[in-house]
Amino acid sequence: MSELNLNEDQQDCLQEIINVAMGQASDQLARYLDTFVYLKVPSIEQVSTLSLIETLGSNENSASVVSQGFFGYEGIRGEALLVYKPKDSDRLADLLGYEPDELSVEEQIIDLSSILTTTFLNVFAKQIDNQMSYSAPRLLAGSQSAVSDHLAQQSFNWDLALKVKITYQVTDYSFNCDMILFIPESAINNIKAVINRILEEF
Amino acid sequence: MSPNDICTDITNKLNTGILIIDNQYNIVFWNRYLEIHANRKTDDVVGYNIFQVFPELPQKWLKRKVESVFQLKSQSFCSWEQRHHLFELQHTRPISTNSHFMAQNCTFLPLERKDGSDNVCILIEDVTDVCHYQTMLNKTLEELAQANRIDGLTQIFNRKHWEECLEKEFSRARRYQHGLALIMFDLDHFKLLNDTYGHLGGDLVLIETAKVISSLLRLGDLFGRYGGEEFAIILPNTDIVGALDVAERIRIAISKNIINFQESEIKVTASVGVAVISKEDKRHEDLISNADLALYDAKASGRNMVCVAKQLVEVIKTE
Repeated sequence: MSELNLNEDQQDCLQEIINVAMGQASDQLARYLDTFVYLKVPSIEQVSTLSLIETLGSNENSASVVSQGFFGYEGIRGEALLVYKPKDSDRLADLLGYEPDELSVEEQIIDLSSILTTTFLNVFAKQIDNQMSYSAPRLLAGSQSAVSDHLAQQSFNWDLALKVKITYQVTDYSFNCDMILFIPESAINNIKAVINRILEEF
Repeated sequence: MSPNDICTDITNKLNTGILIIDNQYNIVFWNRYLEIHANRKTDDVVGYNIFQVFPELPQKWLKRKVESVFQLKSQSFCSWEQRHHLFELQHTRPISTNSHFMAQNCTFLPLERKDGSDNVCILIEDVTDVCHYQTMLNKTLEELAQANRIDGLTQIFNRKHWEECLEKEFSRARRYQHGLALIMFDLDHFKLLNDTYGHLGGDLVLIETAKVISSLLRLGDLFGRYGGEEFAIILPNTDIVGALDVAERIRIAISKNIINFQESEIKVTASVGVAVISKEDKRHEDLISNADLALYDAKASGRNMVCVAKQLVEVIKTE
């Protein structure tokens, strides 16, 4: 279990790659959405199955969760979860540049999730000389069913995951959401190999 | 075969639609799959504007969608769950599903051409089958959930669901210090009625009574069958005066309701107990037991009347 942990250098390196990617993603999103998008410094940590349920399930306010899988070369893969609070979904159509009657709230949430996830991960992939592909985003839990209900039905086939949490803020629209990237146990060694290569090149 | 030939061959044998447009929304390429399912000649399609060829497309929405692919250079998706289809195409289950057009999952991919121009590739997958079964499943789940809430005979809430509602309303009323009233009523001499007219007659009385009472209630009121011939109504945001008014109307409506069964006219009366939430009530069961005691008072005092929970009698006198 401990050999899966990132050492201090590896952690710093990953943090740095993410910081650069965040800067570029924020710039691209600002141009596309025509408003400032702040990405808050992420937290990177190892989590267990149990703590995932605690993190997502305990938060009663998180109304909607969208999942999107990502996969690239060298075994880099994982799942991105976008977590929204219900009060933040009001002005999404406006933010996305759609007329509110053109699409449902669910479609707005899914659309924005896809934009945030792919924009960030594309630049992240470029930083590590990779290229990402994505599965179609899926709404896991809407206002009708709580995230905890969804998670409670799962029997996970992993114990540990690398979790990267980034908070998006669009102050002009008083909008917030969290993007949580999970790299499953089986892919952690692959990302470590990539990080080690980058460290050696320096 | 050269790799290029292989690609062309696969593209034309693929069970996925491929449509490529340039940044002016002109169609640059489409594959055989689309040619067949749209049933149009390639010459009438390639080189033409996508909105001209497929006038059914939501133009404004699609332009914004495609714009995001061009600008962010990342793929975008559209699922049948949000939009059943974008393109009006034929599908492969015209006989065994009731879908008029092919249900679609669409993927929008950014493409950089060798000459530096930007294209967007739209992949169109037929998910009519998935859509059909998922819709059936959702309908069944909804019916199951409904059946789980409803009393089969009277078509009002069953005891279990009604009590869950009361539990929620009770904690809400306590949290926000709102009023909450409970009415419980029981049909008088119901056993005698069953003995006289048989169970079919008794059942009809229960059905007709539930119907009459349902028509008297407001939108937020929650009406359920508590047991055999006992019914219960939750009145959110209601004080004792309002609850008594409703209770009296219920008593009168039942006593005036003549139920035609076979050759006879059945008349029935009800005894009604009323309670409202008070500081002493810690659990929703306390409210039930207060209303229930009042109902027994109504029975004991001669039936066909409304009684109020004992601790409320003083309140009413002062009002």
